[in-house]
Amino acid sequence: MADNSLRDLCSGPQRDRRNQWRIMLWTFLWAFSFVAVTFGIKREWLPFGGALAGVIATSLLGVATVLAYRRFLNETDELRRKIEVEALALAFGIGLFGGLSYWLLELSGAVPAKGFVWIFLVMIVTHPVAVLIGLRRYS
Amino acid sequence: MKNRLKVLRAERDWSQADLAHRLEVSRQTVNAIETGKYDPSLPLAFRVSRLFGKSIEEIFDPEEGSR
Repeated sequence: MADNSLRDLCSGPQRDRRNQWRIMLWTFLWAFSFVAVTFGIKREWLPFGGALAGVIATSLLGVATVLAYRRFLNETDELRRKIEVEALALAFGIGLFGGLSYWLLELSGAVPAKGFVWIFLVMIVTHPVAVLIGLRRYS
Repeated sequence: MKNRLKVLRAERDWSQADLAHRLEVSRQTVNAIETGKYDPSLPLAFRVSRLFGKSIEEIFDPEEGSR
């Protein structure tokens, strides 16, 4: 049964699959917009007004992604919701406490200064890994 | 919490997927409840109760812990 966890990630009622597609669509649009605006600003392709409009558009796409995920959480079946919430808690905990611990290490000079961007990367990776672990646990 | 979900499902010759479809949950949820890894919420327990035409106590037994 444990081998079914990857299949279960995208299975479930049709309602869940539809909501997961919505999340993927908005996430893709947000990521595309984020990369485009980042390059536009760094390589000076965008004038100030264009950069500002790009940042606002990217933020709105981010809000749409969050709303799509919220809808998925509200409509999905209860076990999947429990797995998702546990994964969110783990990602948030690692991001917050791991990030602050790293920041203290930065202050002490024990590790090189990398800024805070990597914390978001850790959170982005932690969430799907934790969801997979949860799916395996309840399979 | 122990339950008779697997027996009741087998009596009707339903697969886990059939039962999941009827309860509007994922097959994994049905499997997790049957194996005692997950206890259903009260609304889901009521849906199970209605589907099988039995009281919640006839299906779920909180006295016999399975985990």
